[in-house]
Amino acid sequence: MPSSRRLFLKKTGTLAAGALLAGVSAKALAIEHTQYFAAGDFAASYARLFAGQTIIDSDLLEMSLPDIAEDGAVVPITISSDLDDVERLYLFADKNPTPLVAEFELTPLVSTYLTARIKLAESCNVILIARRGDQLLRRSRWVKVVHGGCGVG
Amino acid sequence: MSIKIRSRRLDGYIEVKVLISHPMENGRNRDANGELIPAHFIEQLVVKLNGQNVLSSHMAGSVSKNPFFTFRLKSGEAGDKIAVTWMDNRQISDSAEHLLDE
Repeated sequence: MPSSRRLFLKKTGTLAAGALLAGVSAKALAIEHTQYFAAGDFAASYARLFAGQTIIDSDLLEMSLPDIAEDGAVVPITISSDLDDVERLYLFADKNPTPLVAEFELTPLVSTYLTARIKLAESCNVILIARRGDQLLRRSRWVKVVHGGCGVG
Repeated sequence: MSIKIRSRRLDGYIEVKVLISHPMENGRNRDANGELIPAHFIEQLVVKLNGQNVLSSHMAGSVSKNPFFTFRLKSGEAGDKIAVTWMDNRQISDSAEHLLDE
């Protein structure tokens, strides 16, 4: 059955090409991810993302965290804003071995509102940066951590 | 199934909660024998509504074990489908779907 063999070859060829493409994009993504979420000091991590860009401190961003976190392994955080056009949020803990905690990409289908649970290695500043178009806004909060300890973050 | 999704309709928006079972090991913790536990954390999370991206996130070992997120959809009809997918640093992934209520 040459026709079905041809069909088979055609299909497997397409599959192989698809897998290759998926492999390439996953690899490119992995490189970017590894770079941004590298362990290292906060200044380097921050500079990798925002070097040379103006950042404005803004209380239009709201960030709710406990003033004192008993357990650094699980710290609840709520991020919210009435600004409707935030495209990206970057969350940092400046004393964590991996200072960039998370990056969120929002679409117009969701409000600027998020809750999460994060690790804080020790008492530190939690810093939120919001990107709207070419504007960067920042909100920071000091959190005292009672039990952080080795390995957290 | 590593993902639980819940939603409820509130005044003017739909609140969606996502709970994922995952160790989120950052590679710096030690087990009972003092051996380093290898890094194992979610790198990427994607949320779709009826196949369209609504929210995505990149993260690493600074997110707590068993990640829990809440977000708010501005609108959605009963039967609309929320799909959540994660992928971790070992290229393991999982996904789950949830239909919005009335």
